Amino acid sequence: MKASEPEELRAGAGYGRRADLKYALHLLRRNPIVLAGVTISVASVLLALLSPLIVNPTSWNQQPLNLRLCWNNPLINWQIANVFNCGGSVAVYPLGTDSYGRSLLQMIILAIPVDLEVAFEVVASAVVLGVFFGGLAGYKGGIVDEVILRVTDVFLAIPGILLAIVLIVVLGRSLPTLTIAVLITWWPYYVRLMRSQVLSEKEKPYVERLRAMGAGGIRILYGHIVQNSIYPVLVQATLDIGSVILTVSALTFIGLTPSPLLPELGNLANQGIQYIFTAPWLILFPGLTILIISLGFNLLGDGIRDVFDPRLRR
Amino acid sequence: MRLYEYVARRLFLMIFVLLALSVLIFYLTRGLLPPTTALAAYITPRMDDSAKLSVARALGVATTSCPSYSAFVSLQGGCVVPLWVQYGGWLENALAGNWGLTLLPGISGTDTTWHVFFSRFPYTAELAIAGAFLTIIIGIPLGIVSATHNNKLPDHISRMVSLGGYSIPQFWFGAVLQILFVLYIRVNGSGLLSANSTVATRCVICFSGVVPAEVARYSGIPLLDGILSLNFPYFWDSAVALILPALTLAITSIGAISRIVRSSMMEVLRQDYITLARSKGLKENVVIYRHALRNAILPAVTVSGLLVAYLLGGAVIVEIVFSWPGVGNASLAAADVLDINFLELYVLVTAVIIVVTNLAVDVIYAKLDPRIRY
Repeated sequence: MKASEPEELRAGAGYGRRADLKYALHLLRRNPIVLAGVTISVASVLLALLSPLIVNPTSWNQQPLNLRLCWNNPLINWQIANVFNCGGSVAVYPLGTDSYGRSLLQMIILAIPVDLEVAFEVVASAVVLGVFFGGLAGYKGGIVDEVILRVTDVFLAIPGILLAIVLIVVLGRSLPTLTIAVLITWWPYYVRLMRSQVLSEKEKPYVERLRAMGAGGIRILYGHIVQNSIYPVLVQATLDIGSVILTVSALTFIGLTPSPLLPELGNLANQGIQYIFTAPWLILFPGLTILIISLGFNLLGDGIRDVFDPRLRR
Repeated sequence: MRLYEYVARRLFLMIFVLLALSVLIFYLTRGLLPPTTALAAYITPRMDDSAKLSVARALGVATTSCPSYSAFVSLQGGCVVPLWVQYGGWLENALAGNWGLTLLPGISGTDTTWHVFFSRFPYTAELAIAGAFLTIIIGIPLGIVSATHNNKLPDHISRMVSLGGYSIPQFWFGAVLQILFVLYIRVNGSGLLSANSTVATRCVICFSGVVPAEVARYSGIPLLDGILSLNFPYFWDSAVALILPALTLAITSIGAISRIVRSSMMEVLRQDYITLARSKGLKENVVIYRHALRNAILPAVTVSGLLVAYLLGGAVIVEIVFSWPGVGNASLAAADVLDINFLELYVLVTAVIIVVTNLAVDVIYAKLDPRIRY
């Protein structure tokens, strides 16, 4: 048996949770790209948790005006005329300063937990709503199914970002409404996904056995069927963390932000678009951070899908 | 079920989806916002209260028994017309194409919401169509090459592009392109594009140096008008101005399409009829493009409905980054001044486009794949 052949290793390792874990670890070692995804996403979560310790949260207040949009990191020469060099400031700003004179590096570190928190809240709530309504639609069928599906149709008939714009305009600009607006555009996908999973799962013999034993519908659905069909939903959830960060930062980038001072990646980039040709760092680095984080979660999601989707194991 | 029965059933359902959406949008913009929001485009601070009240009555927001404007503003009982009555009047007007006034300026001056919207809409349509075009001519070949060169260099490159497309913030990609072409890719000491945008009144951005003659607005789409009025400098300028925004808009969907084409192509290439075609001695190109592609392209057709939604949504961001004069850009201005007439029209027009495209896609899919039965 060659250890490098996943199929054979899979066969040799047998089945069950431990074997799955073993196979997952094997995939990680074999596939450096997935490993990179795990590293990036774990690192960004750690950075988010530690960020109040690394950077004093009060540093997002406005700084002296003579530090606005300056760059004094000697490692990069932007080759732009009239780059302001921070007026002889002793401190070096590794990624320059923003239009409020704050260190961009500090702002990015403070922004990561804000974006990640919104993303996790949106995805977790969408999974819960999706499992509840999707499970109900798939299991009950008939009129319940039809009503739930038509409601999702309504939400899927407009691009999420448009609905989010209207919702934020109506509900007001704050972080909770931003979260709710993105959630409202996101949950229908999970309802559809969960429904299709439950539709195929409920025809299996064990469901009939449970029914014969006299188990109630709710217990069969949420106790057994959901447990057995939730993996694809969780994989999608991992992939979606990156997409939600993209959507949230896009919304704050176009100006639907709670406060212009809030350190949030899209918000920082929004300041940058005005100074794109005089202070390009202000849009480059926040955007790059978004790219890296969402790339990390996408790679992680791809890796998890490889582990859980047997069809892809070749 | 026959095809026309299926289409009729879908059209019937479509009406209900659009009606439900209009109720949702109406409730959001008129039910949750104070009723005075609806008056914003019609009243000025100089008007006295009785004039404001008569405007509110004319718009069907205030009742005739309402004693004063201040009573209306403070939502006194019996002063605001019930929401469902308002909805009836609004729907009647909306279906007649009467969408009221807007606070936003249009491209060609007139001030009804309908005119402002449709004077800007061709720009968004141009951007979205160009984005779809780029998605198809880049995304599909990328997916094919990726599948036929599985696990070789072209596959790795294509998968990287696809993953990057999923992960890249569109606004950032657009900004990076601008920074590169304006600041760093140098021709004669300056960037390829000019940083001090000299916007002439008669063309979008005049790259060719020649200010072209007045262009007739046949369709409102600059590229098309340039051709129709045989004004090639204008056409050239519009085409150059379109490249970077369209690429920015397409980057995400290129990734999505190439990924789908890749997986379906790999599935198809494993099937027996492909082996048969190869064993007949057909050239590899014929096998791939004549035999395999036809079946492999089907899943890509099904997501093209989703693609339209993607492009119309992404257009908002791209229009901001590139200061594109389309409806997405205007919708942000509308959001700032709470111009609800414009937002309602925008959401509903977009929804109609998406719902109709989805139906068309399903019909086309059935035509392409005879195995599909309704």
